[in-house]
Amino acid sequence: MSKAARRASRERLKQERLRQQQREKRNRLLAILGAAVVVVALIVGGGYLYMTTAGKQAEGYTGALAPQTRQDDGSVVMAKEGAKAPVVEVYADYQCPACMQFEATNSDTLKKLAADGDAIVHLRPVSIFAKQAAPLNANSLRAGAAARAAADYGKFVEYNDILFENQPAEGSEGFPADDLKAWGEEAGIKDPGFAKRVDAESKVVDTYTDLYGKAVAKAGEEQVAAMTPAKIIAAGGGSAADFDGTYVQEVFDATDGVNARYGPDSGDNAFTGTPAVYINGALQGQDVFRVDALTEAVKSAKPGEVDTKPAEPQPSGSPSASPSESPVEK
Amino acid sequence: MDTVDQPSQPSQDAPATASRWQAVQPWATLLSRLVLVGVMGYAGLSKISAPSLSVQSVAAYELFGDGLNQLIGYTLPFFEIALAVLLLVGLATRYVGAVVGLVMLVFIAGIASAWARGLTIDCGCFGTGGQVAAGDTEYGVDIARDAAFVLLAGIVMIWPRSPFALDRVLGLYPEPKAGA
Repeated sequence: MSKAARRASRERLKQERLRQQQREKRNRLLAILGAAVVVVALIVGGGYLYMTTAGKQAEGYTGALAPQTRQDDGSVVMAKEGAKAPVVEVYADYQCPACMQFEATNSDTLKKLAADGDAIVHLRPVSIFAKQAAPLNANSLRAGAAARAAADYGKFVEYNDILFENQPAEGSEGFPADDLKAWGEEAGIKDPGFAKRVDAESKVVDTYTDLYGKAVAKAGEEQVAAMTPAKIIAAGGGSAADFDGTYVQEVFDATDGVNARYGPDSGDNAFTGTPAVYINGALQGQDVFRVDALTEAVKSAKPGEVDTKPAEPQPSGSPSASPSESPVEK
Repeated sequence: MDTVDQPSQPSQDAPATASRWQAVQPWATLLSRLVLVGVMGYAGLSKISAPSLSVQSVAAYELFGDGLNQLIGYTLPFFEIALAVLLLVGLATRYVGAVVGLVMLVFIAGIASAWARGLTIDCGCFGTGGQVAAGDTEYGVDIARDAAFVLLAGIVMIWPRSPFALDRVLGLYPEPKAGA
């Protein structure tokens, strides 16, 4: 064999070895990538199964509701008569999508717990969106005031469900007065006084959103977002007297109320947004969005006391409470 | 993609800098990996305690329909966790880094689109998202933070060689030969 031929053969062998190495390298890389893909698939697949199970909504509760009692601050307590059970406070805004999720998942859980005497459910609508631009503020307040009106007829819980089922998407006009009135009938309110009240409150909401607009024009959106509704009304040049006795004002008061009750100095229990679920005054974490976690949290809590009193009967001319309304144990 | 196992552009007339970078790079990559492990792991774990909220965080962007929102809300947290696990053990480091970078870019696009449409939502990056007061949106901060994570992911992608990695055990990114 000539020198040149030997060199060529050596060269061929070298090339062959190199190709071999490259092949091995590629195979190793493919194996590693394959393993990584398998890891991802296992974790994501297993996770999806977990989320599907954990994210299940409560089974529809079709039994009789526990009696609902309007409180002196316009909130509603749903509890079995004489129940000795933990107090579950639910602060929600009808325009808040997370509240809608909570409601969709656990409204029936709460109904069942209340009906079984395992919980005193204290439903306390607020309007954190009152401080945001229309239509968010208007939607939130129209719904809050209408729900307050439904409480006069002992149909708050039913009406509350319907409102959340029909929550408008963010930024779109929703909860129009006509729908709010129709939903009253759907909830079983026959008294025409309800429709009148809804119309009147809708006008109050219009007044407020006007003032809100003026306040923003003067002070800017960020400033206004830090104000209380009363300050917004004043900043817009409105008169607080125009809101006296309205349910819109009661929603404002409820919102100021929770901010005072669970203010910034309440530490872990501070109210920072909706939905906020408190069991005997202790703010619950996100896991109350799961049926099992909420049920467990309630069942492991001690009996508590509602911090409001049942409302006095309305002055004459106002709607009378429904027969289902009965004072909760005090 | 397989010629950059070692620092790719040491300045020709600064060999000292280059070799210093060679010494530092594996640790820089390890640090980047670990930061991303923390970020992705926390982002994922904080979402799984409330599946319906995870879905809500996605829905708040108003980009997809209900079915897709649910699918993303259910799987995204675990996808983040899976990427964190892979970065932690250092398997397929370069490719995971690339995917993390891409995911972050998608997040940035989502946040920017929410911003542009005037939505007032929490980015839902960690834990619950959803609406917040207009004054409380932090789109700029969210985007800047995600951009920083893109840079870290870029480091991992471009220089995947780092200590404490399965890749190294499996011989994927060997030490550069002396003088290489």
